Amino acid sequence: MDSTHDADIVVDDLSFRYPGTDTNVLDGADVSIAPGEFVAVVGGNGSGKTTLCKSFNGIIPHFYEGTFEGSVTVAGLDTATSSVAELSQHVGYVFQEFDNQLVNPTVFEEVAFAPLNYGHEDYRERVHQTLDLLDLDGLEDRFIWELSGGQKHLVALAAALSLDPEILVVDEPAAQLDPVNARATYEHLTELNADHGKTVVTIEHHTEFIAEYCESVVLVEDGAVSWKRPVEEALNRLDDLRAQDVHPPQVTRVAEQVYDDGRRLPVTVADGVTQFTDRAAAGGVRTDGAIEASPATADGQSPVIEIDDVSHSYETLRDGSRQALDGLSLDLYPDERVVLVGSNGAGKSTLLRLVTGIESADEGHVTVDGVDAGSTLPETLADDVVYVHQNPEEMFIEDEVRADVAHYLRDRGYPDVEERVDDVIEYLNLGDLQHRDGRLLSVGQQRRASLAIGLATDPSIVLLDEPTGSLDLASREEVGRTIDRAGQRVETVVIATHDLELAAAWATRIVVLDGGRVIADGPPDAVFSDTETLERANLRPPQVVRLSERLGLSSAPLTVDGLASRLASDAPVEAER
Amino acid sequence: MTYLDGLRDAASVDAIKNDLLKTAYENEGSFLHRLDPRVLLLWYFVFLFVPWLFYDTGVLLGLLAFVSLLAYVSRVSLFLVALMAFTVASTLASYAVVTAFTGDPMAAIRALIPFTLKLTIISVSSLAVFSSMGPKTLAQGLRSLGIPRQFTFLITYGYRMLPVLFEEYHDLVNAYRLRSAAPDSPGRFRWRHYAYILRISMRAFYPMIFNVAKRSRVTVEAMETRGFSHSLHDEASKDLQLADLRVRPLDVGFFGGSLAVVAVIAVTL
Repeated sequence: MDSTHDADIVVDDLSFRYPGTDTNVLDGADVSIAPGEFVAVVGGNGSGKTTLCKSFNGIIPHFYEGTFEGSVTVAGLDTATSSVAELSQHVGYVFQEFDNQLVNPTVFEEVAFAPLNYGHEDYRERVHQTLDLLDLDGLEDRFIWELSGGQKHLVALAAALSLDPEILVVDEPAAQLDPVNARATYEHLTELNADHGKTVVTIEHHTEFIAEYCESVVLVEDGAVSWKRPVEEALNRLDDLRAQDVHPPQVTRVAEQVYDDGRRLPVTVADGVTQFTDRAAAGGVRTDGAIEASPATADGQSPVIEIDDVSHSYETLRDGSRQALDGLSLDLYPDERVVLVGSNGAGKSTLLRLVTGIESADEGHVTVDGVDAGSTLPETLADDVVYVHQNPEEMFIEDEVRADVAHYLRDRGYPDVEERVDDVIEYLNLGDLQHRDGRLLSVGQQRRASLAIGLATDPSIVLLDEPTGSLDLASREEVGRTIDRAGQRVETVVIATHDLELAAAWATRIVVLDGGRVIADGPPDAVFSDTETLERANLRPPQVVRLSERLGLSSAPLTVDGLASRLASDAPVEAER
Repeated sequence: MTYLDGLRDAASVDAIKNDLLKTAYENEGSFLHRLDPRVLLLWYFVFLFVPWLFYDTGVLLGLLAFVSLLAYVSRVSLFLVALMAFTVASTLASYAVVTAFTGDPMAAIRALIPFTLKLTIISVSSLAVFSSMGPKTLAQGLRSLGIPRQFTFLITYGYRMLPVLFEEYHDLVNAYRLRSAAPDSPGRFRWRHYAYILRISMRAFYPMIFNVAKRSRVTVEAMETRGFSHSLHDEASKDLQLADLRVRPLDVGFFGGSLAVVAVIAVTL
């Protein structure tokens, strides 16, 4: 990209060690980023990628005591001798936990905060320009806490942009946002990069986004930069990526299985379509794996959860009341693995909370195991139902994981508390973590601990709210396995999520919610083949599904292996070029 | 019964939250909001002293009526008014209980009424002033009077975090409820049930504080990257933030008018 500025980033032999630790979190890192680049920084948990990026605006070393060696030069300033305030005029930073970086009540004040702090008299124009740039105009007077997650993230981005920095660092946008909002953020970043010449650095696990939007990839490994390569070449280094728990895009993984001639593998859907077309066409359009009938719900079993014409709304300060559920009816049966999908605000969490009894529906009835949830204490319903909060922190009420797992059993005076706790802790492999404070674990570990807390109650119904939210891909797989294991112990599992890959891999039944109503309901292959409905719900099917559709495969396979074997078997001869 | 209770539990937390937030932020239309915060603070300072100049119950009731009117036009939160009324009534009642052992409780209460009235006048004027100003104007007012920004920012930030804390607290209370055993029988007037709710309501504070403390690290870093500490020594920034403060005729009129009202009450009653 052409750049309108000459602010580059040069990291030279940078080492950093947090006080009280023996190993360097950064250990001789070398990298340089030219003005106007769009770079993704990838690496496993604890590889030092966030520390590296925090050295760009001087948070490292000015905000963390520690041993700092080597040098970082940003826009000609040596970060060791420049203040964070000075560097921040050149580097805007959006934190991973962006919720905690918003400190003002309204959108206008939030975006005006930095220009006011620097005494820029034109702060009003700056705010309006920035909001305009991110399509946020009209939200000026809205309260931050009443915005959706996606809007908050854009406001955090606007706040970082309000000083007009040449460089933008965004930490894990895709982990915190649903896929549609993450795309929106990336679209804006692309525009800022292409039209306004900003250097954009994102820390990212989602290689699908990297492939589509970034120009080059920096791989961080054990505190050092292993390489920096153009994106296509980078995403073809499958072994390097996997060694760092970074999963290549689905299309690349499919191609890896289909071709073994060492060719350059496709990294985007568009690439994949060009490469696979001959394969898909060769076998013709197959229909043998056609959509199967609806799941085994209708064979006379009575539902465990009945939701009958339920409506529910919440009050907000300036927007009146918000309708979360709108005359929704749904029956869930034993032994189902149900996934409720829908974008933020579709009503998924509200529905789960009504089933637990901690909220009562404004209208309609929720019946759980024959009991009316609206007139039963949540403590009573908790005998059968367990709710795992989307933010695991809200589940930790004791100061160690073990005590948290035992809380329910102790409080209810179960006789064999210790054995049962041991059993769950062993089952979910939490032995090493059981005496640590849940709040201080990594997010992946927190998810596992929160599931253990749920399973210890020996429920027949488990409700999981966004279980793969804020997880990198490696932790997501781990949580996926944990959910699988949990499913073996309980009768009915209901997951609310916007993670369609999880839904595709796990569910027996998918219910699509939009605007507080059910707009689709059926087995995964049927729901995923209806892309129109998914788009209406603001959802994006997994990459394999989109790829199969573009290739004209009917009854789209839902997994990498599924598509790879279809393409491999469809090929009459090894199609060499 | 349980249905109603469940509903009340959920509704009341939300109702209180909305009520307090309205007090903090939805005051733009109110009369006092249009005044300069410095004038309001000065007015408040004066009204801290005025009640102590009078002993006559009639005059004090007149003053109370005046500040109550101001509180009414500044749309004070009903929750706060109820809280204050409860405090006043329970203070008086506790005097009665104590003096019952030492002598005539009614006489003691009669003697304490002027004193309580003075405190009530001050409380009501505090409610009127502080709920009509809003955190931002209050912070501006204090800052222009020389209070450091570190402190005035805390006021706006504290209010900003209120809804977040409410939500978190509500979630934690629910987490406790879903993992605790409710009392087997609610007891007379359901006291066991309420004692149980009270107990978990108190316990839920601790995890909330830990969670907040953990997150504040990011907040501090983020504020630094947006020049907060830079602004502490930057005169241009201060001037800019206080630029819309201005004493206008309305402010002078309000201040003079209030003094006139006090004078009229003192003379006629």
